[in-house]
Amino acid sequence: MRPPFPLVRPSVQSDPDSSPVSPPAAHPVRTGMPKGAPALPPHLAALRDSIRPPRFGVLAFGDPRIDAYLPGGGLALGQLHEIGGVGVDRETGALPAGFAAALAGRIGGGRPVFWIAPRPDLYPHGLTGFGLDPGRLVLVCPDDSDTTLAAMETALREGGAGVVVGEVETLDRVASRRLALACVQHGITCLALRRWPYGRHGEDRDTSLAATRWRVEAVPSEREGREPGPPRWLLALTQARGGRPGEWIVEAGESDDATYPVRVVAILADPAAAPRRLAG
Amino acid sequence: MWLPYWPILRLRQGGLPDRPAVTIEATHGVRRLAAIGPDAAAQGLSVGQTLADARALCPGLLAREADPGADARALAGLAAWCERYTPLTAADPPDTTGEHGLWLDITGCAHLFEGGEAALAEDLQARLNRNGLLARCAIAGTPGAAWALARSLTTSPCTRLPAGRERHALALLPIALLRLDPKITAGLRRLGLRQIGDLARIPRGEITARFGPQPLLRLDQALGAAEEVIAWPRPPAPFTERLDFPEPIGTPEDLARALDILTPRLCTRLAGQDQGAHRIGAQFFRVDNTLQRIAVATALPSHDAAYLARLLRAQLETIDPGFGIEAILLHAEETAGLATPQADFSEIASSQEASRLSSAIDRLANRLGQGRVWRVAPRASHVPERAVQKTPPLQSQPAWVTDPSAPRPIRLLRTPEPLEVTAPVPDDPPILFHWRRRLHRVRAAAGPERIAAEWWRKSSRESEAVPETDRIRDYYRVEDTDGARFWLFRTGLHGGGRTPRWYLHGLFP
Repeated sequence: MRPPFPLVRPSVQSDPDSSPVSPPAAHPVRTGMPKGAPALPPHLAALRDSIRPPRFGVLAFGDPRIDAYLPGGGLALGQLHEIGGVGVDRETGALPAGFAAALAGRIGGGRPVFWIAPRPDLYPHGLTGFGLDPGRLVLVCPDDSDTTLAAMETALREGGAGVVVGEVETLDRVASRRLALACVQHGITCLALRRWPYGRHGEDRDTSLAATRWRVEAVPSEREGREPGPPRWLLALTQARGGRPGEWIVEAGESDDATYPVRVVAILADPAAAPRRLAG
Repeated sequence: MWLPYWPILRLRQGGLPDRPAVTIEATHGVRRLAAIGPDAAAQGLSVGQTLADARALCPGLLAREADPGADARALAGLAAWCERYTPLTAADPPDTTGEHGLWLDITGCAHLFEGGEAALAEDLQARLNRNGLLARCAIAGTPGAAWALARSLTTSPCTRLPAGRERHALALLPIALLRLDPKITAGLRRLGLRQIGDLARIPRGEITARFGPQPLLRLDQALGAAEEVIAWPRPPAPFTERLDFPEPIGTPEDLARALDILTPRLCTRLAGQDQGAHRIGAQFFRVDNTLQRIAVATALPSHDAAYLARLLRAQLETIDPGFGIEAILLHAEETAGLATPQADFSEIASSQEASRLSSAIDRLANRLGQGRVWRVAPRASHVPERAVQKTPPLQSQPAWVTDPSAPRPIRLLRTPEPLEVTAPVPDDPPILFHWRRRLHRVRAAAGPERIAAEWWRKSSRESEAVPETDRIRDYYRVEDTDGARFWLFRTGLHGGGRTPRWYLHGLFP
């Protein structure tokens, strides 16, 4: 039986003193980290930010409870982001579309929003409440999910768009890599909505290379009398490159706030402690 | 141009063996010959014989079912291919006479061929003969005269008639060559009128009184006294460039290079007249007398050669060169002045960005097809499905104003889906409903918002089928216990003849 690593090391390393970058040097750093907190020490966090700043800026959520989870303090622009739904919403795609509209309305500075979807059931009048002017929309209707991906890439590569939103069934590593590279070319943000065709369910198992992956879930709103209040979502950041996952209850829409896409109502427990949510 | 034996020779192009062949059709249970091939004709067969008689005369006869639709389609294809000679070509289907043919208006085209009209006709015939098609041409000043001369019993495969000599040339031809109804032809024959010249000698009133206007109209058309209008399937395009190849080409690289040569030529001519192309079509003429087409459209008129060539090249993959392509024709099918107003995307700062945008739209529109890229504009209508209209992607638009007191869903189902609903009467929102095999309990609801159909839009059929109450919908915005939000409506009123029905029309985020 092999002994654990620290015991083996001296026998492999013939002369530990002669190599200054040997594993022992790493050991004190690891123990020196604050116990149980995923945040890096300030100097390392600063170092990391200096290495990889979001190249095209960020869209801040305006609330440190979300922004602290994202590198650069907000949703990185000029990147690929993935948004999915839960339950029947994975077919209808209503909540992901609402979140995408809330984001797209605040990105791209009035330049057109290419909304590429094989099913043309987006209703422009419903977008205004989330801050997206339907006058910016350029609607594109391809045949299927694959042509949607191709059309998204074309729209990203040609430039001229402010945001490209695409509704796709699957987003595998190759497709997401292509889209991510196309985003960088002109610094256009791309939002990929995951949406299954009616009556067909699949597991969203494939791992994309999106900068962030979000999941939007409906939660009961704060009623105003008998009427429903502003929509409330459980917003879950299930994957964030350079950031960390988190979950929030947010309110969206029906507000005059032109700066921030959503308002945080509550932050849920750190999902690192609840792996159920991580499965996505 | 007359194409004798067309149905058979067409089938032979498609691989029919080289034996006496006929097509047959069944009339009143008897199978008769509908068309015959040249070698079958040489054996003494004729159209209208029964198949049994024909088999007796010619034991090795090959018979196929007649397919007039396929004949006509192939004829239209050949007519399109003839656009290599002139933009005005049309098929001449066998409506009255049972003979196939083609019209070509070669006015002003013959000088492109060294040797004029005769050389053009010779080239056309040689190309058709090479592919096993027989053709007899006649070139004349009127369509009627050309038609008659092509089918007359002359020995030369191509007859040329100088303009103004129609009366003399036609006088001795049989009356059947006037493209008359067979009944009329038979009637004229009974009167002893066998030649076209005979008809011209009879007092006009008598003929019209007995046979109607057709004989004299056809006569006047053939002699040039009356206009004959041929329905050309494609209107001529003023901006056309063509490229002929001494040897057929086939590789995608060659085709792309040819487009790179043609596009700048076309664009120079467009630029000379300050025009831009909205639609450009390219036709590829294959050696086997068929034609392939591609077309690209641009949102803004353009005469940028590099850009248009790039759009065309993207479509090249749909072209099947077959055994080779011997000519390419490029024409601007739709053009417009270049001073078209720009899109009003408010924040488009530079013209560079505007051109990027129109380029992105063009690429998507050409890849996905027409009508797949659009923008939306509000329409003054309360009916949700009519409150949005599609507009072209680069058109300036009115502003969107929305009423915050009447929120609208983000997804609108194309057809509302019927629901099973438990709802208190008369005006309350539902308590629970089934949708997509799931039970939804309503915890909050807003409404009703009454939307009436636009009475002035009802069609006569609709007004019979749908009772008046169904023209009114009461919309509710409901939220179920999970927080999901729906847009439901009720149609029909309580206490009426029919119980109210509920539908789901949209989804809120």
